[in-house]
Amino acid sequence: MTEKLAILWPEIFLFIGTCLVMLTGQWPSRAIRQFTPWICATALMLAFFAAMTSPATQGMFPTIVPYAKMIIATVGIMVLLLLSGTVDRQLEADVDKGKKFQSIRSNRGEFYAFFMFSLTGLMLTASADDLIWLFLALELTSLPTYIMVAVSREEDSSLEASVKYFFLGALGAAIFLYGFALIYGATGSTNLAEIAQVFASDGVSSLGMIGLLVAVIGVSFKIAAVPMHFYTPDVYQGAASPVSAMLAFVPKTAGFLALMFLLGTVGWQDGHLPIELEATLWIMAALTMTVGNILALLQSSVKRLLAYSSIAHSGYMLVGIIAGPGPEGGKFYENGLAAVLFYLFTYGVMTVGTFAVLASLEHRNGKEADHIDDIRGICKSHPVLGWTLVITVLSTLGFPPLLGFIGKLGLFTAGISGGHFALIVVLGINSAIAACYYLRLIAAAYIDDSEKAKDPVYATPFFMRPIAGVLSAGGVLLFMVFSGPIVDGALNAASYNAPVPAPHHDEHHAEDEPLGDDIAMITEINENHED
Amino acid sequence: MMTASLLNTLASPIAMLAPEAGGGHAGGNASAHLEHLVSHVGHGPKWVLLIPFLPFLAFVLNALYAAFGVKSKLPAWTTVALLAVAFATALNMFLNFDGTPYTVQAFEWFNLHYGDKHFVANFSFYVDKLTILWMLFVTGLATLIALYASEYMSHDIGTGYNRFFAAFSLFVVSMSCLVMGDNLIMLYLGWEGVGLCSYLLIGYFYKKPSAVAAAKKAFIVNRIGDLGLALGVYLTFVHFGTVQYSELFQNAQLHHYIDMAAGGDFSHIPGTAQWIALLLMVGAFGKSAQFPLYVWLPDAMEGPTPVSALIHAATMVTAGVYLIARMYPLFLVSEHALPIVAWIGTITALLAATIGMAQFDIKRIMAYSTVSQLGYMFAGLGLLTTTGAAFHVLTHAFFKALLFLACGAVMHGFAGQLDLRKLSGVAWMKGWGIVGVTMLVGCMNLAGLPYITSGFYSKDMILAEAFITPGYAAIGWILVFTAILTAYYTFRVYFRVFVGPQHAEPGDDHHGDDDHGHGHDDHGHDHHGHGFHPHAPGWAINTVLVILACASMLAISLAYIQKEESHGWVGSMVAQSTASFHSPYAEAAHHAHVEHTEMHAVAGPVGTATPGTVFGMDAHQGMILVSGIGAIFGVLLAAYLHGPKGWQGLFLGGREHADKCRMDAIAKRAGPLPKWAENKWYVDEFYHMVLVLPLRIISHIFHWVDKLLIDGLVNVFGFLPRVFAWIIRPSQSGVLQGYAVSMAGGLVVILFVVLIIVTRAGGAS
Repeated sequence: MTEKLAILWPEIFLFIGTCLVMLTGQWPSRAIRQFTPWICATALMLAFFAAMTSPATQGMFPTIVPYAKMIIATVGIMVLLLLSGTVDRQLEADVDKGKKFQSIRSNRGEFYAFFMFSLTGLMLTASADDLIWLFLALELTSLPTYIMVAVSREEDSSLEASVKYFFLGALGAAIFLYGFALIYGATGSTNLAEIAQVFASDGVSSLGMIGLLVAVIGVSFKIAAVPMHFYTPDVYQGAASPVSAMLAFVPKTAGFLALMFLLGTVGWQDGHLPIELEATLWIMAALTMTVGNILALLQSSVKRLLAYSSIAHSGYMLVGIIAGPGPEGGKFYENGLAAVLFYLFTYGVMTVGTFAVLASLEHRNGKEADHIDDIRGICKSHPVLGWTLVITVLSTLGFPPLLGFIGKLGLFTAGISGGHFALIVVLGINSAIAACYYLRLIAAAYIDDSEKAKDPVYATPFFMRPIAGVLSAGGVLLFMVFSGPIVDGALNAASYNAPVPAPHHDEHHAEDEPLGDDIAMITEINENHED
Repeated sequence: MMTASLLNTLASPIAMLAPEAGGGHAGGNASAHLEHLVSHVGHGPKWVLLIPFLPFLAFVLNALYAAFGVKSKLPAWTTVALLAVAFATALNMFLNFDGTPYTVQAFEWFNLHYGDKHFVANFSFYVDKLTILWMLFVTGLATLIALYASEYMSHDIGTGYNRFFAAFSLFVVSMSCLVMGDNLIMLYLGWEGVGLCSYLLIGYFYKKPSAVAAAKKAFIVNRIGDLGLALGVYLTFVHFGTVQYSELFQNAQLHHYIDMAAGGDFSHIPGTAQWIALLLMVGAFGKSAQFPLYVWLPDAMEGPTPVSALIHAATMVTAGVYLIARMYPLFLVSEHALPIVAWIGTITALLAATIGMAQFDIKRIMAYSTVSQLGYMFAGLGLLTTTGAAFHVLTHAFFKALLFLACGAVMHGFAGQLDLRKLSGVAWMKGWGIVGVTMLVGCMNLAGLPYITSGFYSKDMILAEAFITPGYAAIGWILVFTAILTAYYTFRVYFRVFVGPQHAEPGDDHHGDDDHGHGHDDHGHDHHGHGFHPHAPGWAINTVLVILACASMLAISLAYIQKEESHGWVGSMVAQSTASFHSPYAEAAHHAHVEHTEMHAVAGPVGTATPGTVFGMDAHQGMILVSGIGAIFGVLLAAYLHGPKGWQGLFLGGREHADKCRMDAIAKRAGPLPKWAENKWYVDEFYHMVLVLPLRIISHIFHWVDKLLIDGLVNVFGFLPRVFAWIIRPSQSGVLQGYAVSMAGGLVVILFVVLIIVTRAGGAS
């Protein structure tokens, strides 16, 4: 227990922060109210330093915790900057006019608390060593975001998005919880290490395999992979830009960590997952990037476009998951999991910047910038924001030598060294398609300033948002040059101890039922779910 | 052009030695000197890094000045000060050098291991005497010319001024990397860096179409050469497995090849090793403006004059000479490389001189003379006298910078006027005395007047070598003839522009309101420029001109200090570097008239070879006579054809007006030849016809193929995703139930597909 506690200090700091902000957010004194985000920042920084010294654990991924929690805290701080001013704008304006502060109308406390809860859940996901823990952590990550979507904007569309997100999220959770249940049924344990032990000793039973398949597809809701991606564009568009930025990073990171842990139980023997899982993930990866990219082509809403781009990026990262950890003691370019862990950070940094630009612009009536016409010519009208957009979008596109390129290169090389050439071709084609809409964004920002928009956009009064953008763009450039430590960190974090069969074990093979029956059964169950 | 049959008659001079030197036994220790030189490469002091760092600091500061819109001479003073310290550092490097080469590492750059191969190229610097020689004049001249430019560029104070000095400093950084780099990758980095700076500075007046065209031309022509260099570097790594000088020159294989080459046996040296030199040579031809890639250099004079002086006369264009000198061991093992270098150099020297004779733009004449003199240096390299080439680089750097800067002073003072038909008697105008005198010094050096000029001694060293080395007398005579032409066209400029009746027409840059506030000269001979006042150069320009004039004269002594080391100070600098090679013929010649020679520093076999002679005399003595008389004849010819009446024209001339002289009548009778020469023998037009036009036609063809066929295909592929998108877009209906059904359905479909895949593959698993 105590060794478990040793890796939980970051979560503990975040939790303390969460409790504090629930109080300060409602405080009648404005100075204390406005201090709320600073508490979050302090907690995140403490969590960062606590994560730095996290000891190694006994599990399959003994060294993942420090790296994962450090990138969560880093990107979390950037998102925090971006969240400033999202809620209570009208309320504070009223207070300025002399009205009394009514805590019942304020959303500040719960908004920041939910943000912190979500990050706590995300960190807990990184610490997970048990199916129950994993499920609770995943849900702790997601549940607060449903509400954050709802309160982020005072418009019907955000409520609609929130409700959709909640229902579909529940469905996704139901699916992977069902998968977890099947795994438990097949192995008699919820502990991931023990499950791995059973799989290693007895082989993966059909029931266990179906459990894994269902769980993997269910968890893919978190990363917005096909076929669980449908909610993404609606929710990103419905939520305020800062919250969309958070959605792009937080659930995706949780999902990929969960996928790594689940797949770690069966392992990448000789560089390959069991064929069922590999085929599933292969199809999902190919479909996810293709669907994401080609639907992004048609969008005129930047947030929707970024939502599809987020889907496509999940597809890219699945390639790394399929490639697996590569040979023992391999280099970064052979290790798909390291590439995924590095790319998660990269993607977080870049995406915050792009959303920060949108969040920093609004129309006269307070509507936030979303249409591609809104960012037309901003390199001239708002140079800082414009160049932030150019840099982060170029990086997202994977333009050498920017940070995103280094990340994508890792995925490519890992895929190639894993021998997944067909998938790499799909990845390459998709990168080319993606360039099409990313360059449209850049062209709109940089080149096209010919016609003055009818409904021009103005900078929002929240100066923290452009700072988040500049930090992101600066991060893209800085980490591009000094990518070494992060690459090493990701490589170290991705070290994977393949489960070894227990030496003394009763011969108790799971009966080899034909797979078909089980599938039919699950199909029935799922159809019941739809009702 | 060289043909294959000609090549066969051209064995490398090192090989031709073999029968006389007695075949293999003489070659036995040919590589010993090289081995001795590079065997103890130590680590040098870190302050050497200041030489590239200080100009870099200047670059950064100037860039910052540009960003903050500094509008003063601050960039110039920053650059001059930092470059002066860099020069002092180079001087210190020279004084503290104990004869052992060393490397200084700034930081680790490339360190790749794959298989059993290592590719190591650090950001570090290699210092031996050749490096020091080059760095001394690069930093020294850069300092002086920056000082000159502080005044010259003053009409552009503001953005342009900052931009100029930023690019100027960056050039010095790049040149330091090129010269001091301890591996070929650093050299390549510097090579491209100086190319970039050259491009930026030629195109300095970016609003002027001709300047932009010239910049592009320089860049593109240089690309051709750079391709050769890149391939050469690549082949070096492939063949020798290293690009670091210290390892490369210790390579046992290379030493073996050198020994074989010294024995005249090239047939056992692998083709790849021989190709390296040929490819590097192409790079050198591009950067140093040798035939057929010389066409960019005359156009490069579109840049500001200080740039022409520093980059396109004194330093950057000698990079090719440096490359060959540095990689001399590799050139020795290539059967055809050095003869080609010698002949290309000779052809270039002659061709450029003939063009230079017929030009009217004084800066352009200087440009062609640069090409011509570079030809001499290449001839020297090809004739196995690296010392001669290096000495000529050094003297040429001083006197050609001086000539350009003097021409620049004229251009600056006369509002961009450069036509020698529109200027006359400049030296007699008030305030122009120093320019007149220093220009005379420069012209004398370029013409190579015997005994009193350094240009004479360095040229003589190359000319004599042509006669000493058997089989190269033809090159010698061509170069002697070229020397006469050189003397003629050089003094043509002097007699027309600087002496004679005073006359000046302003150039195109003259505006009605002349805002140059100082040095106005009110002279009565100005018929044409209504209200035009040329403004005489200020202290900065004059100081620099005087220093350079003194340096040109003092350079004579460089051939004489440390005489015991053969060919003086420069000889000793070259001898103790990888460029060291003493032609056995030169050895013998040297033995013949210098008694106390002890030749330890010899890479070539100490020969029993008999040196060639000129008119039965020792080659050096003979050349002093022949080339001295030639130079004087050229000057007198120029005086007769272009000189003014009276003593200013040496009592030979008859010119009374700026634009009328005896040459006009001769030119008329000479038929189309002068016209052809003035139009540069239509080489540019020829290139246009033979290279540019076909390429353009091909590019048009490909353009249409691309547009119709490829773009068509691409558009189809580009269109397909959109079609798919339209097809699957309805799935994104926004209806919650639809999404839920799709999710569950997707799960089912995927599981079903996987089931099929697994059952198909079931047999295997």
